[in-house]
Amino acid sequence: MSVVGKPAPLVDARAKVTGSGVYTDDIKLPGMLVGKILRSPLPHARILSIDTSRAEALPGVRAVVTGRESTVRFGVLPVSRDETAMAVERVIYIGDCVAGVAADEEEIALEAVRLIDVRYEPLKPILTIDDALEKTSTPIHDKTLDGTNIQKAVDQNFGDVDAAFASSAFVEKHEFRFAAVTHAFTEPHCVIAHHDHDGRLTVWSATQVPHYLHRALSEVLSMPMHRIRVIRPMVGGAFGGKSDPFPHEMIAALLSIRTKRPVKILFDREEVFITNHGRHPTRTLMAMGVSREGLITGLDLKSLIDGGAWGSFGVVTTYYNGVLCMGPYRVDNFRYSGRRVYTNKPPSGAMRGHGAVNSRFAMEVLVDILAEDAGIDPIDFRLRNLLPPMTKTINEFRITSNGTREGLEAVRGASGWNDLHGKLPYGEGIGVACGFYISGSALPIHWTKTPQSTVHIKIDSDGGITVHSLAAEIGQGSDTMLAQCVAEPLGVGLDRIRVFSSDSDTAPIDLGSYSSRVTFMAGNAALRAAEEIRKELVAAASVLTGQPAAGFVLLDEKLVYAPSPDITVSFMDALQEAIKDKGALVARGCYAAAPPMGGKFKGAAAGLSPSYTFQAYVARVGVDPETGFVTVRKMWAAHDCGRALNPLAVVGQIQGCVHMGLGQALTEDFRYNRGNILDANLLDYRTLTPRQMPPVEVFMIETNDPEGPFGAKEAGEGPILPVAPAVANAIYDAVGVRLKELPMTPDRILTALQDGRGGPGARPSRESSRREGKRAPRRPATVGS
Amino acid sequence: MILPAFRLHRPTSIDEALIVAASCDNDFDYVGGGTDLLPNYKNRLNPRRNVIALWRVPDLHAMNGGSLGAMMRLVELERDPDVQRRWPGLIEAVEQVATPLVRQQATLGGNLLVETRCYYFNQSHDWRASKGYCMKADGDVCLVVPQKEVCYAVYSGDAAAVLLALDATFTIHGFEGEREVRARDFFQPDGIRRNVLRRGDILTSVRLPPEAESYRAGYLKLRLRDSYDFPDAGVAAAVKLDGGIVEDLQVVVNAVSMTPLIYSDITGPARGERLTPALIQDLAAAIAARIQPVRNVMFPPQYRKRMVGVLARRLLTRLTLPAR
Repeated sequence: MSVVGKPAPLVDARAKVTGSGVYTDDIKLPGMLVGKILRSPLPHARILSIDTSRAEALPGVRAVVTGRESTVRFGVLPVSRDETAMAVERVIYIGDCVAGVAADEEEIALEAVRLIDVRYEPLKPILTIDDALEKTSTPIHDKTLDGTNIQKAVDQNFGDVDAAFASSAFVEKHEFRFAAVTHAFTEPHCVIAHHDHDGRLTVWSATQVPHYLHRALSEVLSMPMHRIRVIRPMVGGAFGGKSDPFPHEMIAALLSIRTKRPVKILFDREEVFITNHGRHPTRTLMAMGVSREGLITGLDLKSLIDGGAWGSFGVVTTYYNGVLCMGPYRVDNFRYSGRRVYTNKPPSGAMRGHGAVNSRFAMEVLVDILAEDAGIDPIDFRLRNLLPPMTKTINEFRITSNGTREGLEAVRGASGWNDLHGKLPYGEGIGVACGFYISGSALPIHWTKTPQSTVHIKIDSDGGITVHSLAAEIGQGSDTMLAQCVAEPLGVGLDRIRVFSSDSDTAPIDLGSYSSRVTFMAGNAALRAAEEIRKELVAAASVLTGQPAAGFVLLDEKLVYAPSPDITVSFMDALQEAIKDKGALVARGCYAAAPPMGGKFKGAAAGLSPSYTFQAYVARVGVDPETGFVTVRKMWAAHDCGRALNPLAVVGQIQGCVHMGLGQALTEDFRYNRGNILDANLLDYRTLTPRQMPPVEVFMIETNDPEGPFGAKEAGEGPILPVAPAVANAIYDAVGVRLKELPMTPDRILTALQDGRGGPGARPSRESSRREGKRAPRRPATVGS
Repeated sequence: MILPAFRLHRPTSIDEALIVAASCDNDFDYVGGGTDLLPNYKNRLNPRRNVIALWRVPDLHAMNGGSLGAMMRLVELERDPDVQRRWPGLIEAVEQVATPLVRQQATLGGNLLVETRCYYFNQSHDWRASKGYCMKADGDVCLVVPQKEVCYAVYSGDAAAVLLALDATFTIHGFEGEREVRARDFFQPDGIRRNVLRRGDILTSVRLPPEAESYRAGYLKLRLRDSYDFPDAGVAAAVKLDGGIVEDLQVVVNAVSMTPLIYSDITGPARGERLTPALIQDLAAAIAARIQPVRNVMFPPQYRKRMVGVLARRLLTRLTLPAR
């Protein structure tokens, strides 16, 4: 391998760090208007009237639109199309879009927004999960369950959990609470819509799902897709927060259709927080049993998930909270009950590690507790319970490569675990946790027979290779990955390759950057397209040398006849021969669908993936028992990425996951004050600072997945999963308290210590005899009582 | 969010600044670095139609003997070897302000006069319109302590606490000339009025008395992240020891009230005593018992109260250790 596996700076890195990269807000078009949105000041209210006359009369105002003008519903999932461009009859959260204004200047647009007169009839706001479970005469959306605000219920049952618990040596049941957290990406949402005089609509938007935006625009505007062009300029971070088609994109389009002028809407930071779509606030009740031999007997899980105002990806979230607990451990009996509710708060949605992070925290803490019950070292306990490679889970996930064992051994050795766990002085601790995630959702969101990813390649006589794809580069490095997957089979360097991945007019469809699918799917598509080109180059080399085509290998800009390596043809000579009579080489590759897999039961498709990734982390922490402050001293992070196509990018993703995961673990809390976000800015919403970031020692476990491109799997999401539970387990090792609520802020840790839990005597395995008999097995335990 | 329109004035002397101020019909703010004022303006928190920038007034940048110009940037203080040597306790506080980037811009005077903070105040106009305005901006009630008629917004500068402990004096220029006010008398227990400055007054310099150099002083700050964050509490202390015996001890608790709070009555009796661990523990507990934070910043009141005791004990313990 000459390109794959070598650290490659991202192909767009120089443009980004020098400021020459073009983000949506950098685009200025002639005649462009400024769009602003009037937002609801109430969490739940009926709109009695909207008077836009004063706004429309303001000089410089070019258009005002309201909800009545566009009542077509949309939503990223076809099963939950519950959004409209603007509120039609009711507003359902503070910040809900009520009207849009386009004006010559920002000040004028803001003034016009103030001049719109809306009369509301307030309705009772539903702000908590408990309230949302109650019956109501005014549910937030129609199509809720049984007259409540429950949007989605998932009930799954595999094996016999009750019987498994009855025969268990230990059963532990605990409740966990998770605050909402949000992506806190750098670039605010921004969109430009231009409906031109030919009746074509071009939309530039900071999105990670240009194709879903394309579809939604077409449906909402009743405009055929071929008259809409979606362009994704550089995106300054997304993490799932730009993976829905959004109301502001529809509003910009409506304003441009009215004015025939380009309209730009750029959010301020408060609007970014209001738009949210971050991780769901969740209450998790989990019970797990273990046998005398230290084997997990069953898992009983109940999740209550606060979805906020819209459906978004919530149906998927509800499934993922359960089914993504099916690895990396073997669980033969599993029962899951998930409920996602609507509340009058900004919508929750997909965020890095979508649906898996909170349940994973509960599971890894519970595994730690059970390991202690069983008197087994937490790493040994995990090793004992691992799924093997090439197996099937109880819910019929097909497990191919699985590097958890190698990962656990790596972090155990490097961290000095055996000498430290249970042996550090009071206030110092070490903890372990694992993770499990999909590498691309096997089934697309829409029922369609078109491939999930298609990639086009063109090479003309200049020797430059252009790669066309709609896989959304959002900072994760997908353009670089595509370039590598093309360069490697053609034996050329990355400098020959340019990736065009931002324009729906020129790129073949790719479903976008979500569910950690791009490396696996678009990477395979690029590789297949490159292999088509390779065939043509090899055929040309065969003509030029008279040697059989099968003997050629491509490397270092040459086609080398392997049986007799001094017979070579330069890349450029082969190219000129190949295009001689027919012009530029063009090729297409696609990733159609994963092989058939999965069970026949309801919801069997949720969580299916052509491959899964696995993580094993160790965290070392210091806890100040007087203040509750936690210092994360180091993380050892092993991630089974199949194969590191670009080690630089893999390490970067893992470091980024540690940073984001530590934020959720220790500091980030998306708080509300009766429906108002309390911390809607980057000062008060506390992401971790560089000073709090520990060193991260990364172990890339390469299991060479049989179906991944060059053996690769995802590396962008799975690595967040073990971060928070590893820290929680380390805190327990340090001071003897189990935190079951995130974030684990100093005041919460201190409260736990003061409650008499914890202290020097409460920590694990210092005196193993002391704890014996203290923890009587409690069984049977069921969730949901 | 965009700034509201205002007229920017850039006088080049203190007198010119006062003349400009007199012509602004009481509708103006002075600005130092602007790192606090301008974000508040973006949130439409009491913006004025005139902003008088003091960047170009050379006198305000000067350092003379024990006097520090109010327009000295915080990084200038941090990096000045003379300041480091003479008042390391002040440097310890300055270094904990915001971030290195903010300290490039922020000034000493600006940090002393930083706007008081509260969850119901430091929000956008839309947020406050939705929630209901508070008495500190656009409204007439306190949303934290509704039954009270005073504003409970928290004093959130870091440098002031040490200056109180070291008994610094502030020099003020106003329409009626120049005057000096002890730092201990400067702040007022009212989150809106905040201090003794009258309209037009410019805080021009901070003077530390010569005795300040014979004190050991320091500052510990409670905040969730050890960068960016305003204080959720802080403790400054200055102690003068003679052979281990206390000649003078001052402790100032910061960011739990509308002003920094000095507890000379609690620390006074320590004069003539040896600062033993037991005495330090008693002093810290007595101080923590006195404070009454309300729920208007990130950490809950009980935690802040408890931490004041811990920080006070740790700081006093450190200050009584033999010099390194």
